[in-house]
Amino acid sequence: MSGDEVNPAAVAQPVEDVQGDGRWLSQHTRFVQECKDGEPDVLFIGDSMVQLMQQHEVWREVFSPLHALNFGIGGDTTCNVLWRLQNGELENIRPKVVVLWVGTNNHEHTAEQIAGGILTIAQMLTTGLPKAKIVVLSLLPRGERPNLLREKNATVNGLVRSWLPRLRQAQFLDVSREFVHSDGTISPQDMFDYLHLTAAGYRTISKPLSELLLQILEETPEERRASLV
Amino acid sequence: MSGEDLNPAATPTECVDVHGDGRWMSLHNHFVSESKDREPDVLFVGDSLIQLMHQFGIWRQLFSPLHCLNFGVGGDATQHVLWRLSNGELDNISPKVVVLWVGTNNHGHTPEQIYGGIMAIVQVIKNKLPDAHTLVLGLLPRGKSPNPLRERNAQVNKLVKEALSSLPHASFYNVDPGFVLSDGSISHQDMYDYLHLTQKGYQAVCEPLHVRIKEILDKPTEN
Ligand SMILES: [Ca+2]
Repeated sequence: MSGDEVNPAAVAQPVEDVQGDGRWLSQHTRFVQECKDGEPDVLFIGDSMVQLMQQHEVWREVFSPLHALNFGIGGDTTCNVLWRLQNGELENIRPKVVVLWVGTNNHEHTAEQIAGGILTIAQMLTTGLPKAKIVVLSLLPRGERPNLLREKNATVNGLVRSWLPRLRQAQFLDVSREFVHSDGTISPQDMFDYLHLTAAGYRTISKPLSELLLQILEETPEERRASLV
Repeated sequence: MSGEDLNPAATPTECVDVHGDGRWMSLHNHFVSESKDREPDVLFVGDSLIQLMHQFGIWRQLFSPLHCLNFGVGGDATQHVLWRLSNGELDNISPKVVVLWVGTNNHGHTPEQIYGGIMAIVQVIKNKLPDAHTLVLGLLPRGKSPNPLRERNAQVNKLVKEALSSLPHASFYNVDPGFVLSDGSISHQDMYDYLHLTQKGYQAVCEPLHVRIKEILDKPTEN
């Protein structure tokens, strides 16, 4: 990607309320309020993959005890997450780790653009939270059988993996490898609609993710912890 | 609406695979194949509100023991459910009860059209499963604050309830325990995105629903 072209996946954009019930903005407004009320150590931000995690036991058992907030909104693209972060969802909080999981809904964008959008969000997070670590989760394969979106998501993952080391605070966690069986199919036992995870699917990705988060939280310097008390 | 007007909500329609991963058709094929191996007494059909119910503990707790199948597809509108039920999902099973919950995704359709879509589905079920009783669940209010979609859904419910009262093989069931609070808002404790239910929301919906389904199962001669 040449530097002088505008990447549409890196342009902050709110979701237009086409359905007319204002749900997207209501959720954003609630998240901004949660920033004022809570002091999270871990912030999850992204699309439905993040949002639905909170509806499963694994959230209460594994992530909630880490003092985590969940700012997931179903259907969000990199553009929508950028807009939310620029409009209050980082104000008043100092999480030690931010988990970013977004990109599979960027249907209008190329893999290169999506990876650029993810990198832009990661950059913004490191600027806004200079002491936080950023964990970028890989996009998952989708669809029952091999298809173009699986290839696109895999390409995004490859680009993010190679570009992310530019940001010292950020790291990539690949959770995409457990789901495609040897015959090329994805099972509804893991993804109930061949996109969203079941409780079992969330268990699978939660193991490496919680291990990494615990490791990062333990590495957080004591003086910084003390300042947060 | 005269019979000659084409109601898009009552016209069986395949979901277009705009994203290119074929998930909608995969799910439909999965349901058709499930219907060949299983003998459900209760079939749940509809959109994401049906589909997500299957993902929570309440399903295993209340509905699995009744021998239920779940044919919910996120995003489906009435015309999509109509297509699925007309294309194989009912051909190998004979459930005693069909729970139908769809219509809140019919964006761009009038309450009359959505009502027509729901009634068309009830008719397809009647044709394919003459001995089953169809329980049509009322559409829930949505959005954090009062908005036109809440009014639309309420209007659909009114029309469906009235029409079903005269049909012996179907009935309307209001599953809203009172999600709209006294200040007009809906809590994210009940609907995490002001549309889809949390575990707490499902519990409030499913416990009375379970009782109602058992009543119908215990009176199989109602038809
Ligand atoms: Ca009746």
